[in-house]
Amino acid sequence: MGLISAPDQQRLRDAFAEMTRSVRLVFFTQTLGCDTCAEAKRILDELPPLSDRITIEEVNFVLDADKVKQYGIDRVPSIALVGHDESGDHESRIRFAGAPSGYEFSALIHAVLLVGGRPSSLSAAQRQQLASLERPVVLQVFSTPT
Amino acid sequence: MAFESPNITAIAVEATEFPDLARRYRVSAVPKTVVNGEGEILGALPPDAFIQQVIDLTRATPEQPERQP
Repeated sequence: MGLISAPDQQRLRDAFAEMTRSVRLVFFTQTLGCDTCAEAKRILDELPPLSDRITIEEVNFVLDADKVKQYGIDRVPSIALVGHDESGDHESRIRFAGAPSGYEFSALIHAVLLVGGRPSSLSAAQRQQLASLERPVVLQVFSTPT
Repeated sequence: MAFESPNITAIAVEATEFPDLARRYRVSAVPKTVVNGEGEILGALPPDAFIQQVIDLTRATPEQPERQP
C-alpha cells in the first residue's frame, strides 16, 4: 500500500507537472545499522511514479566513498538534490538528513519543486541581501516529524 | 536560500533521528538553525530577519574547514 493517499498523489502530480527541470534525489543509504534507511527509501520510491522528471539515485554510504565526499554526506539516510537540464547537472546544495516523513516530507516536496524550476519565494531585495554573503556557510535546520 | 546563494549549503536535519547532533547543538526546541556549527537561530523568523541573522552569524563564526576554497 502506498504511503501517499490518492488525492495527495494527484495534488503532487499536478505540482510536479509544472517542473521545467529534472530533479535527481541522490539517496545515501546503507544496509546494516540504519534504522530509518528503509523508511526513507519507501517514501522516496513514491515520487518517481508521480513525475517523469524525478529520479532516485541510490548510493551506498559505505561503498561509494567518492560520492559521499562529493556531496559532503556524514550520516544516513541522507538525500542530496541535484537539478538537471540541457546544460547539465546543477548541484542545489540542499540536503536532507533523516527519513523525510511528516513535516520533512512537505519540505522535501518544496525543495524538489524549487530545484525543478519553480521561482523562489524570495524578493529581489532579499536576493540582493543574500548576495552580500561572501563566504561559505552551512545551515543545519533542525526539525521534528510533527 | 541555498538555491539562491552559491555560498549556502542547507541541510534539513531530522532531530529525533540524530540525537548526537541534537545533543551537540543543544536542540531543545524546533525549528532551530545552526550556522557553521556555532551560531544559532531559534524559531522561524520572517525571511528578511532570517537572512540578516545568517549574514551576521556567518561573519561571527569560523569557516567550515571542508568548504574552504
